[in-house]
Amino acid sequence: MKSKYIIIALITLSSLAFGASDSAIWGDDLLKDILGYDKKGSLHLGQYFTILQSTYFKPLFFGVLFGIPAIFFIHYMIIGPMIFSHDRKRIYVFSVFNRMIHTIAGIAFILIIPTGLIMMFATTFGGGEFVRVSKEIHAISTLLFIVSIIPMFFMWLRWMIPSSDDIKWMMILGGYLNKRKDPIPAGRFNAGQKMWYWIATLGGFLMIGTGAAMYFQDFRLDILASNGISQIDFLRASAIVHNALGLVVLALFLTHVYMSVFAIKGAIHSIINGYKEEEEVEILHSSYYKELKEKGEV
Amino acid sequence: MANTWGYGAMTNSLGDIQNAKAIIIFGANPAVNHPVGFQHFLKAKERNNAKIIVIDPVFTKTAAKADHYCQIRPGTDIPFMYGMLNLIFKNGWHDEKFIKDRVYGMEDIMEEAKKWTPQKVADVTGVPAAQLIQITTLYAKSNPGTLIWAMGLTQHSNGSSNTRLAPILQLALGNMGIEGGGTNILRGHDNVQGATDMACLSDTLPGYYGLSDGAWQYFAKSWGVDYDWLSGRFKSKEWMGKKGFTLARWWAGVLDGKDGNDQIHNAGTNLKNLFVMGNGITSIAQQAKVKEGLDNLDMIVLCDPFVNEAAILTDKQDDVFILPAATQFETSGSVTATNRSVQWRSKVVEPMYEAKTDHDIMFELAKRLGFYDEYTAGMKIKENKKDFTWPEDATDEIARIIKTIGLTGWTAKRIKKQTENWHMFDQISGRGYGEMKGEYYGLPWPAWTETHGGSPLLYNINRSVAEGGMGFRNRFGLEHDGHDLLAGAGSAPKGSIQKDGYPEITAENIEKVLGITLTADEKKRIGKNWKVDTSNIIAEKCMEQGIAPYGNAKARAKVWTFPDQIPMHREPLHSPRSDLVKEYPSFDDKENHFRVDTKYISKQTEKDWSKEFPINMVTGRLVNMNGAGMENRASKYLAALTPEMFCSIHPDLAGKHGIRDGSMMWIHSPEGTKIKVKAKYSFSVPEDRIFMPFHFAGHFQGEDLSHKYPKGTKPYAVGESANTVTNYGYDIVTQIPETKGGLCRIEYA
Amino acid sequence: MSENARLKFYCDEHRCISCDGCSVACAEAHELPANINRRKVITMNEGIFGLEYSLSIACMHCTDAPCEQVCPTDCFYIREDGIVLHDKDKCIGCAYCLYACPFGAPQFPADGAFGVKGVMDKCTMCAGGPEETNSHKERELYGQNRISEGKVPVCAAMCSTKALLVGDSAEISDIYRERVLSAGHGAKIQPYGWSTAYGSKI
Repeated sequence: MKSKYIIIALITLSSLAFGASDSAIWGDDLLKDILGYDKKGSLHLGQYFTILQSTYFKPLFFGVLFGIPAIFFIHYMIIGPMIFSHDRKRIYVFSVFNRMIHTIAGIAFILIIPTGLIMMFATTFGGGEFVRVSKEIHAISTLLFIVSIIPMFFMWLRWMIPSSDDIKWMMILGGYLNKRKDPIPAGRFNAGQKMWYWIATLGGFLMIGTGAAMYFQDFRLDILASNGISQIDFLRASAIVHNALGLVVLALFLTHVYMSVFAIKGAIHSIINGYKEEEEVEILHSSYYKELKEKGEV
Repeated sequence: MANTWGYGAMTNSLGDIQNAKAIIIFGANPAVNHPVGFQHFLKAKERNNAKIIVIDPVFTKTAAKADHYCQIRPGTDIPFMYGMLNLIFKNGWHDEKFIKDRVYGMEDIMEEAKKWTPQKVADVTGVPAAQLIQITTLYAKSNPGTLIWAMGLTQHSNGSSNTRLAPILQLALGNMGIEGGGTNILRGHDNVQGATDMACLSDTLPGYYGLSDGAWQYFAKSWGVDYDWLSGRFKSKEWMGKKGFTLARWWAGVLDGKDGNDQIHNAGTNLKNLFVMGNGITSIAQQAKVKEGLDNLDMIVLCDPFVNEAAILTDKQDDVFILPAATQFETSGSVTATNRSVQWRSKVVEPMYEAKTDHDIMFELAKRLGFYDEYTAGMKIKENKKDFTWPEDATDEIARIIKTIGLTGWTAKRIKKQTENWHMFDQISGRGYGEMKGEYYGLPWPAWTETHGGSPLLYNINRSVAEGGMGFRNRFGLEHDGHDLLAGAGSAPKGSIQKDGYPEITAENIEKVLGITLTADEKKRIGKNWKVDTSNIIAEKCMEQGIAPYGNAKARAKVWTFPDQIPMHREPLHSPRSDLVKEYPSFDDKENHFRVDTKYISKQTEKDWSKEFPINMVTGRLVNMNGAGMENRASKYLAALTPEMFCSIHPDLAGKHGIRDGSMMWIHSPEGTKIKVKAKYSFSVPEDRIFMPFHFAGHFQGEDLSHKYPKGTKPYAVGESANTVTNYGYDIVTQIPETKGGLCRIEYA
Repeated sequence: MSENARLKFYCDEHRCISCDGCSVACAEAHELPANINRRKVITMNEGIFGLEYSLSIACMHCTDAPCEQVCPTDCFYIREDGIVLHDKDKCIGCAYCLYACPFGAPQFPADGAFGVKGVMDKCTMCAGGPEETNSHKERELYGQNRISEGKVPVCAAMCSTKALLVGDSAEISDIYRERVLSAGHGAKIQPYGWSTAYGSKI
């Protein structure tokens, strides 16, 4: 038993040449970082992080987590869902590959988001082992997320490029504010979906990066060092970005769920069996429908 | 130093350093080696506005706290000090009265100093002339100034000259025997002063009595042992008075002059067995030779709480014995600090597992070798006891016998009382309060009688002898070349019956010098002289009359028995300046130097070493380790601070050889050995030298030997020993190795 | 120590000789794993005359401690005398306290699976943790509790040159002031690090 500790100590020691000077945080940079905390002209990320994390993040997350569903609930009560007829043809829109990737990504999100929230509101859950396990699940699910979001980025890229339709879509808020069924200016994917796509992919990459930085914590990236950015400032920036972006991700995730599960009746089936109702495409993705008609696929 | 004024120990105390106005440090690194003691240096700086001047080949942690720093070439301290003396004499900054009354031979020094102009000094030492002038002016004009040194001065082939010129410098300035002055040599390890006082040396009996017949007779009597029995233990009576081998070169005694090794003079045999208690095997120069010595022994016994790396360095498989010795916590006794003061250590735990205390090991050995009774007789004499109590009776035996350095006052009872009351003493002066009034902390020797309070400041004539004052010792006779060697008129310690110089006190001159008459009984009991006076009458009478038993003489700048009568500069055996080697060659080879023929000039001129080995090499200590690092490398947190052997190297020098920070490099030695160490970029060394700590062991010339450690004893940190590449070179008088200045060649690994 | 004591650390760079007595004493007293340095000695400008200096750094036990402010599990608690402590059972090892800390005090031993970082560990000013004082569990998790026994934290007790001081803020300030005055130079507005940690003007 004792020899195990001696071996661990030996291994740790042998990787500790010259003390902990290999550490990017507690090594030779430590004093510089301490002096830089208050220094005029420094990024003051430490102070910003403290203010944001102590005062703003929690209330903002709370607001988003309950506010957005609340708004949607009101929307559902007042305006209600969009209902499209099932009598016409069905158009094949999502391949097996699309659906598989989306499913994995979906599972990843379903693991990542709640565990992230558990960490944010750890006090409510009493901290300790439960939250620690959530933290590990949050990290491991990232692997699922990585294997799905990268293909997703490429597979839908060409349809997610912003177009003039998107500006028109934004101005009428996608037509969700009234009960009429006018044709909505949108391509294969509407502006809302595009927003979600870009947040989920590029934002997702950023979340992975900042999250990994915080997870692995003590490492050295030459590109940062050569630009005069210390590891601790990098971590602070990562924490700020991760939390701020997390707000956006959460907001759009909730919106996406509402849209696909509640706001458009039966929409969810398209990501399960791959087929959309013709009327839904005609109305909600009018430009795409026109395109298909021209090509004679409809 | 003993050859300059009588005693070779730190003259003042650590606390007294706070009284200095200038502190000049040659080749010592107290910030690393005496961290707690260094507090006094810092307080002197803070409270007394003292200026700290550091002279060192490497920019050490001490230099970081200095006001002035001179980066000197290793082994060139004599030119530097002569450079200072040159300016001092030229400008009349020397203390003429002090020199006239209390120093002999300064004229010769003045002559020699004339040669060392600031420009010459700059050429030889590498210290700019302007800087030499600046610090000399500062130091000479600061009153008082104290001079500190350590291994940086002693570990050279002319170390004994270095350690004479430093006192001479202080004598010239009149900085001796005053508060805030003195030559304060900082002894390194715990109780090393005590070990030297008790003669863990091969050229003297305990208390520096030497090996003369008179000394042996005295000890035989004091130990209660038959003189003839004692002399019968030696090959012949003649060998009783011969110096033995040293720690630096014992292995030469094993190798017996074969295969080009130095010849020995050991009555026709070589050394067969080695018994090691404590450290000291892998912290000696020329490790490859040490290994050879170990391999050729019949038997090796190593006693230590941790495994001595000699056990794994040697290829010897049989007859290597490791005895577990107990630590200091498992035993008690007295210890002596660098400032000659004593403290008591108490046992806090019984010896653990199978460890035995050092004294138990030695008693058991004595029993088996058949002289236990004679060995322990001395402890029973005082009270004519049947049995002895350890360690108190041993302490009292020392106090009873050792008069040369005045240990009479060091009885066990007194020492214990002092240590128990250590809060009752002043930090700076050492004076005791209340119950401890009249004593100085640690009873710094000499403490002439059983009630004497100790002498914290040596050679201080501003105090009476009873209060620790005295002049310089009369050790070298009464006159030389027609000059009177006794101190000048009016320079006796305060409150003395004699106002001028006087000789050391003998039974013959005591009545005359002290102006007293002895009773018939006293005349019968009195010893021949103050050193062998078992009755202690001489010391007692001296205290009454304010006389120092060892006399009151002049210090001598000239030592007529040394190869160099006054200190002369001689280049290290392996010097990077071949031009200066011609101008300042080393000594003639010395035959039978502690039984080994030792090379000097022949080694230096064997070839131009600097061509193939251009880099100067300095070894030194780290704060978290000491000695061969046995204990420290086996201590988790200390090892974690420096887990690997390294070499401090200037980035530019490393760059020239393609060595990156943290990569491995080879260091080749003129010995033909090499080591593989990690390079550590540092600005603390200039481009022409490297620095290595000497605390590592376990690797040898690139090979990892640590698998040879018995199970469970391997230290956390192992590495190459710097001493595998330290060069051949030994002091002309003491034979201490020249580890503070050698040559090497570096190479990318 | 008085009832109203506010405990602070102070390290005097004119006296610190980087002997590492403080860091080794801390590691030894609390039996820390080898790669956790609650207290560290840093040397700046090594080898350069006039510029080299050393400092001993650990948690400063700040006023309005930022670590306490950002902790998601609220596992920190601050004593009356200013000592900042935390509860390792609640800690989730998220490292927010490290990001907020100006001094890099929080450390994370890599003792989870795959070298994953465990819960936070930092200098406790030898005041233990939330467990019962001087209990076995407290000692296991947090190290010795010397403050409860009226003893000085072991780092400052061990400091060779008394560069590192710990104690009531007023007393420490007095010592600092005295040193600066007697040296006649080297005065700063206030001891190093105090403005960041305590927002103090001394």
